[in-house]
Amino acid sequence: MGRRKQIVQECERLMDKPENIRNIAIAAHVDHGKTTLSDNLLAGAGMISNETAGQQLAMDTKEDEQERGITIDAANVSMTHEYEDTNHLINLIDTPGHVDFGGDVTRAMRAVDGALVVVDAVEGAMPQTETVLRQALREGVKPALFINKVDRLINELQEGPEEMQKRLLDVISDVNDLIRGMTEEKDYDWTVSVEDGTVGFGSALYKWGVSMPSMQRTGIDFGDIMELERSGEEGRDELQERTPLSDVVLDMVAEHFPNPVDAQPRRIPTVWRGDDESEVAESMRLVDEDGEVVFMSTDISMDPHAGEIATGRLFSGTIEKGQELYVSGTAGKNRIQSVGIFMGGEREEVEKVPAGNIAAVTGLKDAIAGSTVSSIEMTPFESIEHISEPVITKSVEAKTMDDLPKLIKTLQQVAKEDPTIRVEINEDTGEHLISGQGELHLEVITHRIRDNQGIDVHTGEPIVVFREQPQEKSREVEGVSPNNHNKFYITAEPLSQDIVDAIKLGEASMDMPELERREALQEAGMDKDDSQNVEHMFKTNILLDETKGIQHLNETMELVIEGLEDALEDGPLAAEPVQGALFRLHDAKLHEDTIHRGPAQVIPATRDAIHRSLIDAEVRLLEPIQDVRIDVPSEYMGNASGEIQGRRGRVDDMYQEGDLMVIEGIAPVEEMIGFSSDIRSATEGRASWNTENAGFRVLVDNLQTEQIMEIRERKGMKLELPPSVDYI
Amino acid sequence: MLTFIGLGLYDTQSITCEGRAALREADRAFAEFYTSELLGASVEELEAAHEVDIEVRDRAGVEQDPEPILAAAETEDVAFLTAGDTMISTTHADLRIRAETRGIETRVLHGVTAETAASGLTGLQNYRFGKAVTLPFPFVHGAGDVPPSVIESIEANQTRGLHTLVYLDIKVDSHPRRGAPDDHETYMTADHAAELLASEWDGDQLGVVVARAGSPEPVVAADRLSTLADREFGDPLHLLVVPGELHHVEADALQALADAPVGLVETED
Repeated sequence: MGRRKQIVQECERLMDKPENIRNIAIAAHVDHGKTTLSDNLLAGAGMISNETAGQQLAMDTKEDEQERGITIDAANVSMTHEYEDTNHLINLIDTPGHVDFGGDVTRAMRAVDGALVVVDAVEGAMPQTETVLRQALREGVKPALFINKVDRLINELQEGPEEMQKRLLDVISDVNDLIRGMTEEKDYDWTVSVEDGTVGFGSALYKWGVSMPSMQRTGIDFGDIMELERSGEEGRDELQERTPLSDVVLDMVAEHFPNPVDAQPRRIPTVWRGDDESEVAESMRLVDEDGEVVFMSTDISMDPHAGEIATGRLFSGTIEKGQELYVSGTAGKNRIQSVGIFMGGEREEVEKVPAGNIAAVTGLKDAIAGSTVSSIEMTPFESIEHISEPVITKSVEAKTMDDLPKLIKTLQQVAKEDPTIRVEINEDTGEHLISGQGELHLEVITHRIRDNQGIDVHTGEPIVVFREQPQEKSREVEGVSPNNHNKFYITAEPLSQDIVDAIKLGEASMDMPELERREALQEAGMDKDDSQNVEHMFKTNILLDETKGIQHLNETMELVIEGLEDALEDGPLAAEPVQGALFRLHDAKLHEDTIHRGPAQVIPATRDAIHRSLIDAEVRLLEPIQDVRIDVPSEYMGNASGEIQGRRGRVDDMYQEGDLMVIEGIAPVEEMIGFSSDIRSATEGRASWNTENAGFRVLVDNLQTEQIMEIRERKGMKLELPPSVDYI
Repeated sequence: MLTFIGLGLYDTQSITCEGRAALREADRAFAEFYTSELLGASVEELEAAHEVDIEVRDRAGVEQDPEPILAAAETEDVAFLTAGDTMISTTHADLRIRAETRGIETRVLHGVTAETAASGLTGLQNYRFGKAVTLPFPFVHGAGDVPPSVIESIEANQTRGLHTLVYLDIKVDSHPRRGAPDDHETYMTADHAAELLASEWDGDQLGVVVARAGSPEPVVAADRLSTLADREFGDPLHLLVVPGELHHVEADALQALADAPVGLVETED
């Protein structure tokens, strides 16, 4: 029997002992060494050869990942590890670090209970470190820290014991500051510490690692490490032999990460808003393998042989072939065709998977990443909201007509697999739009359409996505139906950022019970009366119904809402989406008879009123912006900061860190297109940089008209600004 | 001058003599057929019968852009035509007010309308009708299969012993609603209406169907809504009456003119 088959069998044996299961993710800033660390763990478990670990990047299974040397999709693997005479089943997800693929990280966090955060000892905590920590803590996932690349401190930077100790302690204290800030309202302390053994150190490249418990066990201390690290290859081999990284990390995982039985009672209330008295809530808390099946798919991928594979966390019940399961948001049931676990890129079919595990199943044709799949109809899990919305759009067109149906199918698949991608299919023009998190994100998607699907496509230049938002409170405007029998009186005003954030984070939505929504909105600063009048929420906009006792309004409201949504999808300035607006319906006059207040009347009347109220509320175009951080030798500092300033950007801070200067600032996404090659040439390749989407900002007034006209021209709209509101 | 002329119920012959004379004298004639239609005559047949050119306007062309009609009426004699009467179930009062506000002289030449047929063909007395309602196709509304206000109006009429005239929806394409089926019927039939009311309200309730009023062969039928729902009444247009209390003459009329089952139409005395 092959080693691989043995591991699968061991995994199967351990699956129904939830106390011995650890579901974990490895997450970090890009290039801090997650995937190399994952490879170490795989080699430790005997799944790849020890020699190739570190170079093999077994978790980067897609060709483009190996080419680019970064992880693009979250990858799953199951392995076993013996700790304190007990065998443990470890289900691991390696996540991408590049900011464009943050959606994968968020989704992975739903499936796991522990997150091993990897930080580069030289670079320290970076912006993405903060992001992944936030993603973990929001999902109730417990962090532990691994400080990687310690060999560089010893060999490259030639640091002495004290310097090194200080640097490591600084990293730990930075990470703890972040954790503390994010768990202020929680009743548990999840900060990490060397003494507790929740911090590990080492070198994934040279495959050694230590932690407080390991040092006590092996007797190897930092002095030994420095000596052996400096004594060249032999010393390193000895280090690897005596204190292998995989043992240290996997021990840490087994000891400090919660098992599903400990984790689920805490996590279920944060990720599920169903009735906590119900039977299904109880069986999720108990990780009951005999309970109803409750599975949340966190990833959808395509396998050339098996078809669509849904990977996710099984919170309750046992999933097996032939089950007919409900998929949230769709009618009818899907039949499970096969059940399996992932062994690094490859799926191994097994008989069944019980609660508490990460499973990979086929047959769920209606599931998307984020679907709740269950054997009874139930409240779905909270949607997995990725914090940043798409900011960049590219058009994709098939070069030959024959590829058209295949392209549409592929695009639909892409949207299913990655909810942070938005796809707009236009069968009339054949010019489809994909929107994503950044240039690289879209490049990877189009690359996959070309190479994996073999579809020859034309792609347009990347265009940034704009938004429209009111800046002031409008006067009351009137929207009249075409037949003049119905009138709506509406005002618009900006929503506070706190409320917008609460909506974005899913803390307040129309899906939740009314009382809970009211409380959440009040919490975010909404007036009590207003929170009681909420009639509808659409994206980050809210409609309040402030009318009293208007006859027939209740049966007309659905049409009012349809008109509102139409108006908000295409804002009045440049038909870009409206965000962060609050509308108040003050009064309405309606015709007696349904037909005279039908869709042809009410939809245009509401749409008109919404647009006019926005115009009167000084609606402005918003553009997406990014936080930018550049690390650069001081002689290039001027050139590097010039690259920010020359892009309508703003430099907020410049400071020294080690021998490098750090420049921090913000710049519009539109201007950042092409930044990589410009900064490289401006600094002769000496800069490293990081960008992160930071929401939308009002475009400066002197560019408004020009930009609006540019978009209107692109969209084939009339080249004139909407006339200011005629006040009646 | 803007003259509103009702074309009456069915074909080229349904217009009044006065209406026909005015139409023939008009310099231009506009019409709309989105609120109702003449099922017995096409636009071409109308043009041929009255020796005029008719410019048909859609909903937007009347409600949102009435300018061509009004501009023409400022200098010429303009006729504005609709099926039935221009001011009854279809209220073009808005257009008339706009014209008057601009100083355009207007007049109304009445046409025979569904309301006349509802009492004329069924024998139900005009005095005893309450508020009329329209029953829309379920997909245009969003307030369930039958909007609550429709049932409320019928019940309010009934508590006062009054009949309800139920106009039936006609599909208009100018603003299709999201999710509307592409291939539904154009005219709501009386059996469909009876089925909607029977399932959402009261199947045992007496209903009276009038089909093709104004044509040479109108059909009038009275029975339980649930029974009417299973019948077919042929070509459009249809309408439905939900009677309130019956006067003895009305009960006799429903038996004699609409084949009402005897047990269903017992009178109050």
